[in-house]
Amino acid sequence: MAPDELLEQIAAILRHEIGPTVADPFAKTQAFMASVILEKLARQLRLTDDHEQADRDERATLVDDMERLVGTAPASGVRAALTGARTGGQGEMCRLVEALYAGRDELGTERFDALLGRIRLTLRAGLDRQLEYSS
Amino acid sequence: MSEHRSDGAVAPKNASAPENTAAARGPCTGDERPMNDRIRDYLVDRFEAPDLKLRGVERIAVGWSHETWLFDATWTETGVARTQGLCLRRDPGNALLREMSDLALQYRVLQCLEPTVVPTPRPFFFETDPAVLGAPFLVMEKVPGTCPSPWGRDGRQFYQDAAGRGVLPDSFTDTLVALHTLDWRAAGLDFLGVPGPGRDFARLEVAKWKALIEASEHDPDPVLIDLIGWLEANAPQTDRLALVHGAYRTGNLLIHDDRISAVLDWETQVIGDPMYDVAYVLSDLNREGTELLSNLVERDAFYRRYEAGTGIAIDHEACRYYQLLYAMRSVAFWMSASGLFATGRNRDLRLARTAWSVPVVLDRAARDLGY
Repeated sequence: MAPDELLEQIAAILRHEIGPTVADPFAKTQAFMASVILEKLARQLRLTDDHEQADRDERATLVDDMERLVGTAPASGVRAALTGARTGGQGEMCRLVEALYAGRDELGTERFDALLGRIRLTLRAGLDRQLEYSS
Repeated sequence: MSEHRSDGAVAPKNASAPENTAAARGPCTGDERPMNDRIRDYLVDRFEAPDLKLRGVERIAVGWSHETWLFDATWTETGVARTQGLCLRRDPGNALLREMSDLALQYRVLQCLEPTVVPTPRPFFFETDPAVLGAPFLVMEKVPGTCPSPWGRDGRQFYQDAAGRGVLPDSFTDTLVALHTLDWRAAGLDFLGVPGPGRDFARLEVAKWKALIEASEHDPDPVLIDLIGWLEANAPQTDRLALVHGAYRTGNLLIHDDRISAVLDWETQVIGDPMYDVAYVLSDLNREGTELLSNLVERDAFYRRYEAGTGIAIDHEACRYYQLLYAMRSVAFWMSASGLFATGRNRDLRLARTAWSVPVVLDRAARDLGY
């Protein structure tokens, strides 16, 4: 049995077989919550490989697009963050967003807005993926 | 603290914690006597009433913050029988917002508000000695009234019925007016900290919740960084300072005879922009399946009554800003809550569950930011 299927089965047993037999309200709530958490973990686990690949693909395209948009602007912080974001994870994406806001004056309003708009496309896509198992 | 969740749920108010746990007895005193006996002994001493008895002791779980007990104390004073309804709140040391929700501060706020028109429970005692109940606690008046949860079916029906009668909606708005027109300096509340002019208030709030997020040790999130960046760059000017409750909505207000009998949950109050509270009232997060603000008040009626009562025009741009700030605050709550579980400081699985609420709140914030 695949790990995500195992978690789902445990969640179902907790929700439908164990939880209803628990008399204490606090323990009953805990059993229900454990079931909810396992269901979410199962979905997250099932989607992990696809999501990680999508994240990598999105980041590579994002960095290409942003390097083009930065152009010759004197924004060394953003350039450095872009280098890290190409191969990095969420932490590097955070540093890129931080660098963008920190470099706002150097970039100018128009370029800043264009870069922010572009990075938000990637953030939106990542958020949508997270919502597949969070909501 | 009972924070509304942007994914359509709230921190539970009625899933009682187990009574027989070490936490319920108080783990630090070595005193294994039942909690009721220890509370009674304390009150015997403080009220100087050797015959004091407790009746109707009930432990309730209000949100995930302080542990709460309700009871009546009865004793004889100069030959006359006395009864005082009391509420005791104890700091368990591992609750949500532990870093920000200080019982000593709450007690002081209640002391300052007692002589004012803002309806609040009268504070009786604040005890720091852990030998008494294992942790600091405060004792305050048990104010008559009920506090239906607006998220349950019964609560929604309660507020819908009250909205139809029309008295409670006015009381809801009038109490907020009382809060925002209070002379907080005269009440001695400037110890809460007074922001400087201009954008200082909003920036201080952003910094406060940012610190909580950092303390949670939660994985970084780029959408949250974007939200914080936007909030820091767009902080509104604050022309007028008021006492801001920080979570003014049904569910945090005690109701008796169709009127607000007490404003509860003094955990996020601050001296700041009154629009911070107004934004919370206007938020569609604080109503469910109804256009009524906080499940209770018609929007137009709220605007008219609030603006007439305070002389403050509701600033929509500022409210939009503060609603995004509330999104950041919700993220801070849920990161902090799940962090308590992840670090083993609290074993309540409801806290662990909140980790999955973070993307849901951020989704909403991203939509408000236009993506």
